[in-house]
Amino acid sequence: MIYGKIVRSPYPHAKVVSIDLSAAEKAPGVKATLAYMKAGDEVHYQGDPVAAVAADTEERARDAARLIRVRYEALPQVSSEAQGMQLIGPRWSTTQPNTRAGQRAETGDLDAGFKQAAHIVEQTYSTHIITHVCLETHGAVCEWDGDKLTAWVSTQGVHQCAQGYAQALGIPQTNVRVITQYMGGGFGSKFAPDSQGIICAKLAKAAGVPVKLMLDRKEEHLDTGNRPSAFAKIKAGVSSDGKLTAFDGTSWGTGGAGASSGFPLPYLYQFPNRKRVHTDVYINAGQQRAMRAPGHPQGCFLTEILMDELADRVKMDPVEFRIKNAPPLAPNAQWVKYFAEGAKRFGWDKRHATGDPTPGPIKTGMGVSAHLWGGAGRGSTAHVDIMSDGSVVVKCGTQDLGTGTRTLVAIVAAETFGLPVSGVKPEIGDTLYPFSGGSGGSTTAASVTPAIRVTSLNALDALFAKVAPTLGVTPDQLAAEGGRIFVKGNSSKGLSWKDACKLIGTEPISVDGKWEDGLSSSGTSGVQFAEVEVDIETGIVRIKRILAMQDCGLIVDKLTAESQAYGGVVAAINFALFEDRILDRVTGQMVNPNMEWYLLAGMSDIPKIDIVLNNMPERGVIGIGEPPTVSTASAIANAVRNATGATIRSLPLHPHKVLAAIEQERAGGTN
Amino acid sequence: MEHLTSPKLTPGVHCLSLRHKGMYVTSMPYPEESQFYDSYDATAYWCVETQRGFGPDGASVRPDCCTGERDCCKH
Repeated sequence: MIYGKIVRSPYPHAKVVSIDLSAAEKAPGVKATLAYMKAGDEVHYQGDPVAAVAADTEERARDAARLIRVRYEALPQVSSEAQGMQLIGPRWSTTQPNTRAGQRAETGDLDAGFKQAAHIVEQTYSTHIITHVCLETHGAVCEWDGDKLTAWVSTQGVHQCAQGYAQALGIPQTNVRVITQYMGGGFGSKFAPDSQGIICAKLAKAAGVPVKLMLDRKEEHLDTGNRPSAFAKIKAGVSSDGKLTAFDGTSWGTGGAGASSGFPLPYLYQFPNRKRVHTDVYINAGQQRAMRAPGHPQGCFLTEILMDELADRVKMDPVEFRIKNAPPLAPNAQWVKYFAEGAKRFGWDKRHATGDPTPGPIKTGMGVSAHLWGGAGRGSTAHVDIMSDGSVVVKCGTQDLGTGTRTLVAIVAAETFGLPVSGVKPEIGDTLYPFSGGSGGSTTAASVTPAIRVTSLNALDALFAKVAPTLGVTPDQLAAEGGRIFVKGNSSKGLSWKDACKLIGTEPISVDGKWEDGLSSSGTSGVQFAEVEVDIETGIVRIKRILAMQDCGLIVDKLTAESQAYGGVVAAINFALFEDRILDRVTGQMVNPNMEWYLLAGMSDIPKIDIVLNNMPERGVIGIGEPPTVSTASAIANAVRNATGATIRSLPLHPHKVLAAIEQERAGGTN
Repeated sequence: MEHLTSPKLTPGVHCLSLRHKGMYVTSMPYPEESQFYDSYDATAYWCVETQRGFGPDGASVRPDCCTGERDCCKH
């Protein structure tokens, strides 16, 4: 195996004048080179792939990459949303405009709504750009056998990735095998081979040996996606008795070079009269990709900070205010219940009014926020083999991103067969296994577990048919539990699983099955509470504790479900307090494409996190990957507001912004 | 979560090489979604031929621009 390295544009906007591979081709250990762009092509962001090389060691590949000579004609770049929205100034593309009109929605009578309002809040809110920061970077190992490709890819969809390889390389999809046994995080950014996957395959073909091409951290920040920014000028009204009356929002954001930036606004709460107009702004930076609940954390923050400001105007408790304006209670809409139960669990009655009156620089505060997600699945298929020695293998072409999917496959099959989890071998992450969808949108559990259940039941029926004559009953009289097959109502009349399987004979039970309706559904709701400590002399925010109230239908495995919620909350703490993709205003280059200056929480930054899952077995399985990450940042920001009395309407809550908001509050108020 | 968040791609109108995550995820519509917010487009698109957000012609790919007007469009 040899190693690939991509040469990327240092310029955020340029034209490629020439690419000279000759020096790299002669470098020690080099086996293949590739020009990805050609003279005249336009580079749209720093990190745009231009050329590549493969050599026998990683070091030699890096050395050779430095020998590839690319000449650029630098072009003026757009480095911020504000710059992109200027009528006169640099353009992000020589052929496309800087902005595009996005969604526009209007409901009710806005003027009448504002007339009903006793109080109006008019402010601008925003969230920033963060990158996915998958600990395992994007990349692949590609190996050719004639015209057949095997690719070990860090991907959220093995079958989907295979289609991408086939279509990009012009080979039959049946000639592509993609394998992902284990995976170190994707968060929405790993559904396709991407340019690095195709470059890897092309280098391997040219070199005639397998190539490994994994991106480094800088490449991750620049070219594997991000969460778009979100801005909104909002005017919102509330009646004297605390009912929302009107919402008028003008929003914009950037998904980078030519990509969309939409988000839901207003989010969740019921404004009967509302209008929203959105504009996508394009800048010379890496394009956005789906990122854990696309659009929701942004829409949630912009709405939830506003909600606390409105609650203060009518002098209502924020929980009471939210209950008053939340959608009515329903199986998929449990907010009213979670607000009340969560407030009790969290000790919300100890919350002071906005602005901690305690003397001294350390102020404490509490905040609350709510969210929703869909999480419905379909379409997965599976295969089960039961052997005559009692061993069981379950195959499904899904993949485990670190979320516990492999565990779910084993648990569902084992429970169906009445076996311990160790009695089932789950095999996933390979296109040789039956089709399953990509793992995104919190759909995996709801897609995969019904398929495993149905297929396992089919296999069990086949086993019952083999065993029933020996026990002198019909198959429908049998049950499987505790490692035994026995007659219902007479558990002593039966066989151990192993003895029962001996009746299978030489031909194993081999059964296919697929997802069926009725075992899963859609719609989750959640509410989160946060308590923070703010040092008003340094601006440093420390989170003391988080409470997450969450449902996901039937909880298949409490440990992995809670783990998803913990991970979501921790990711959102990073969004709230630490992460920020910063572009230099002059050069347009990212100034923190690493893990030193691109900040992430350390162990000591993680507070006590309590997860309360509401098991709703009657609803079937619903995904939980995304929802718990949506509202944490908003709850933290509202807690900071409660602590300091200053409203910070822009993430991240970095110390300088906290101090600026406190100064602004002292100078006359931010409300 | 796709019916409110991603414009439908129509064969014959949009390029067959246009992709987004929703096409690869076996999701189901969330029927009540429209009760909680209005439609929006957070979708990231890419071209299956180039495996990036720019088409073979170098321009960005989205439903509003990946139609028959581009030379690289496939129907």
